[in-house]
Amino acid sequence: MSMLQLLQANAPVGRKPRARGRALPYLLSLPALLVCVAIIVPFVVAAIYSLQRYRLNLPYLRSFIGVQNYVDFLTDPAFWNTLRISLVYTALTVVLELLLGLAIALLLRRPTRFHNAVSIVLLLPLMTAPAIAALMWKLMTNPGFGILSYLVGLLGFTDFKWASDPSTALFTVVLVDVWVYTPFIMILLLAGLRSLPRQPFEAAALDGVPATFVFFRITLPMLAPYIITASLFRLLDSIQQFDIIYAMTQGGPGDRLMVFQVQAYLEFFQYTNVGRSAALLMILWLITNILSNIFIKNWLRLRARVHRQA
Amino acid sequence: MEHESLAGRIFRGAALTLILVFFMFPIVWILLMSFQTNEQILRIPPRILFEPTLANYEALISGQLRTAAGNLEITFMRNLWNSFVLSSGAVVLALLLGVPAAYAFARFKFRLGETIAFTLLSFRFAPPLLVLLPLSLYYQELGLNDTYVGIVWVYQLIALPLILWIVRGYFEDISPDIEHAYRLAGHSWSEAFTRIAVPLAGPGIAAAGLLSFIFCWNNFIFALILASADKQPVTVGALAFVTASGIQYGQIAAAIVLSVTPTLLLALYAQRYLVEGLSLGAVKG
Amino acid sequence: MAGLEIKSVSKTFGTVRTADSLSLSVEPGEIVAVFGPSGGGKTVLLRMIAGMFEPDEGDILIGGRSIVGAAPERRSIGMAFQNFALFPHMTARDNIASGLRKKRGADAAARVQTISRLLKIEHVLGHVPRELSNGQKQRTALARALVGNPEVLLLDDPLRNVDAKLRYEMRLELPNLLRRGEAAVLYVTQDYREAMAIADRIAVLTAGRFEQVASPEEIYARPASVAVARLFGDPSINLAEIVPFVEHGTVFATISGARVLLGAADALPGDRPYWLGVRPEDLGISLLGGGDAMPARVLAITPMHEKVVLLLRLEDGKEWLASLRPDALKLAAEDSVFVRFAQEAVQLFDRETGLRVSLSHRRQAA
Repeated sequence: MSMLQLLQANAPVGRKPRARGRALPYLLSLPALLVCVAIIVPFVVAAIYSLQRYRLNLPYLRSFIGVQNYVDFLTDPAFWNTLRISLVYTALTVVLELLLGLAIALLLRRPTRFHNAVSIVLLLPLMTAPAIAALMWKLMTNPGFGILSYLVGLLGFTDFKWASDPSTALFTVVLVDVWVYTPFIMILLLAGLRSLPRQPFEAAALDGVPATFVFFRITLPMLAPYIITASLFRLLDSIQQFDIIYAMTQGGPGDRLMVFQVQAYLEFFQYTNVGRSAALLMILWLITNILSNIFIKNWLRLRARVHRQA
Repeated sequence: MEHESLAGRIFRGAALTLILVFFMFPIVWILLMSFQTNEQILRIPPRILFEPTLANYEALISGQLRTAAGNLEITFMRNLWNSFVLSSGAVVLALLLGVPAAYAFARFKFRLGETIAFTLLSFRFAPPLLVLLPLSLYYQELGLNDTYVGIVWVYQLIALPLILWIVRGYFEDISPDIEHAYRLAGHSWSEAFTRIAVPLAGPGIAAAGLLSFIFCWNNFIFALILASADKQPVTVGALAFVTASGIQYGQIAAAIVLSVTPTLLLALYAQRYLVEGLSLGAVKG
Repeated sequence: MAGLEIKSVSKTFGTVRTADSLSLSVEPGEIVAVFGPSGGGKTVLLRMIAGMFEPDEGDILIGGRSIVGAAPERRSIGMAFQNFALFPHMTARDNIASGLRKKRGADAAARVQTISRLLKIEHVLGHVPRELSNGQKQRTALARALVGNPEVLLLDDPLRNVDAKLRYEMRLELPNLLRRGEAAVLYVTQDYREAMAIADRIAVLTAGRFEQVASPEEIYARPASVAVARLFGDPSINLAEIVPFVEHGTVFATISGARVLLGAADALPGDRPYWLGVRPEDLGISLLGGGDAMPARVLAITPMHEKVVLLLRLEDGKEWLASLRPDALKLAAEDSVFVRFAQEAVQLFDRETGLRVSLSHRRQAA
């Protein structure tokens, strides 16, 4: 699959095979193999579930129904709502985190002591459990005493309900996601920025090239592979977001934040509809794969271009 | 870059201040809240200066919470202990299993290795629930539901791929000649592995171990589905605690502080390894 | 009993035959240099002996026992690597002691001490490799290979990564050091002078085959093929394509319009193309013509410390090199000179096979 291409593109070439101890590598990788089995078997089982009418509370109704679960989604407004919310959530978080992460990385570009200290402090949100981060923000946005509610009240938004209001719920969870994950993009882009060759920038400075030109025509193109990698990671995590949304609102208010995994979780545990839940997850898996394929193709193309220039 | 205008410097300073405030404020504020009584928390406008109290922490640690409705048992310390057992158990197991496998991937070119790499990568971004749903049904039948062993095993899905990818990169950076030299000097394969390869990949193993510990600790969805109250880690426990204690905001804040402190301290202590591991893990796979 | 015996060893990687039926034996106490261009298979041969690859065919014996399939640690081999391959997390002392079966105790300490005194690294034994100069790293690597008194010593271009001065010193020191333990020594190098200075015999390896295995003097004086002749000597041998002809019972060849006497008529069959080779130091240069002298023009003069190298253009446009003693002649570029060489200095190689054709040998055979 495409992730393998990504791997192979990075893998060192010319490793030498050794004849000795032919069994050894297999023996050593046995645990990894077990984990693979532990992933593949449930995956296949889930795929089979998705083709069944399978409700835990009505086990005697269990039967093979082909793609009926999938067909049902086509006419189900709840499914389209889920798809829309998931995509909007993903687009918002990835774009905001990318812009903010890039801006911070550029600000911290020079490796001074202070800049390094700031980048270390910014690690802390990333190392906070997303579910706990959601609780922190929940406390801060509590309509009774939350500091943020108080502060926006001072600005005139006295009736700002954050996650409990359908019109601002998405904004609130996106804010938490941005708080947790922007540092991830920042770290990758900072590493990328600091590894760029200096000559093009020195030459541009000597020639008095305007800063905006340097940024759009030199910095961004050279940073593109890092940007693509970082966004791919965020994209794939974001479309599967569960922790923040579940801890914050459990998908509410109403169905306002019913993203894929929250919806699937509720289908399974609240409505005990295993078949439907599995079908929903299979669709999510499919979307994830399509998105990652698009990204990796671009990534490989960009990489090839950067290599040609170098 | 060297010669920056005054306006530029002011802009840069202001921007960095805003960024620091945005990313640090929640942590600082919750920390402050955890030292306040409920009355202090509910005061409007909120005050930065207050008489700190340790009552919230005392309540959490003693497990007894006195409320208007009567005494409430808190199992939060139990959750903290569970998090510790589950995460360290998962990391130790993943290191024992993953470091030799990472070595095999780095040193030998073999079909199975490529297949495993392929599978782990393909499923790196599969929705976790997809794997968890069937597992939760099987676990019930196998009696693994709600056991440390069962949860440590599913945590391998988080820790093992991470360790494999990061450590493999470090092994690949060691010249095979160094190991050959050690073997020619009269040492077996396992001696060369434990005395040469593992020490030289030490920073990578540390980075991978730390990252996996943090990711296991921070995991929410696995335990939400597979663990009931007495095996729950802090991520799930904190949410349950919020539901149960209702309006005891001081204690909630203290619980949050207690649940993030271990990972944040680890992150600060080992930030160099972390950044290395995150970047490598991201770039490699 | 031979220390190291390599018997018809072959190894193929993909479609490339990196070792093609190689045979060689090295006596205990003997130093054999494996010399050849890079990519010729030197490193693969060494690694097969060390046990990093196994040969596809053939056998390798150490002290009379076959070691094919044996673990590297059971082969009694000491090896010094081109990139040193020191253990970065151990001190020089521990690096060296790792080559001993018993690493602790007075005996081990004494042996480490002895070998490091010989290699002049006693004062840096407490340092880790990062703190050592390249020369000290190289000596530490050698000490590690030598300390266990292995039956076979493999040295993979050990002087490649050290500076010129140290390389020169080591060339003088190494033969004595290597002979100390009565090990069979295989010394890989890409530098023919190093091979000639250090080895008792040289095995010339090109394209997976031994072109010639002989003493340094023999290889220089009687190279088995034109390829070997080209590899040894700086400046390298002058070559001319000739088709000898017989006249008045004598074989001649024409080089650059001049007629060169090769020997009696039955010395070699005529009408076949040959390479004629003459070493630059066997060329005589004079200002006077006559006889079989070839006119030439001096293109450039390069003084080296012990000789002067002339770049000459012969009348047919061929460029030859001559190396003279510095005090021999006062010449300048563009000078016209005459080139001569003695009949004994001529080396002949078959143009098709590249193999040496011995004039005297041909006569006996005929």
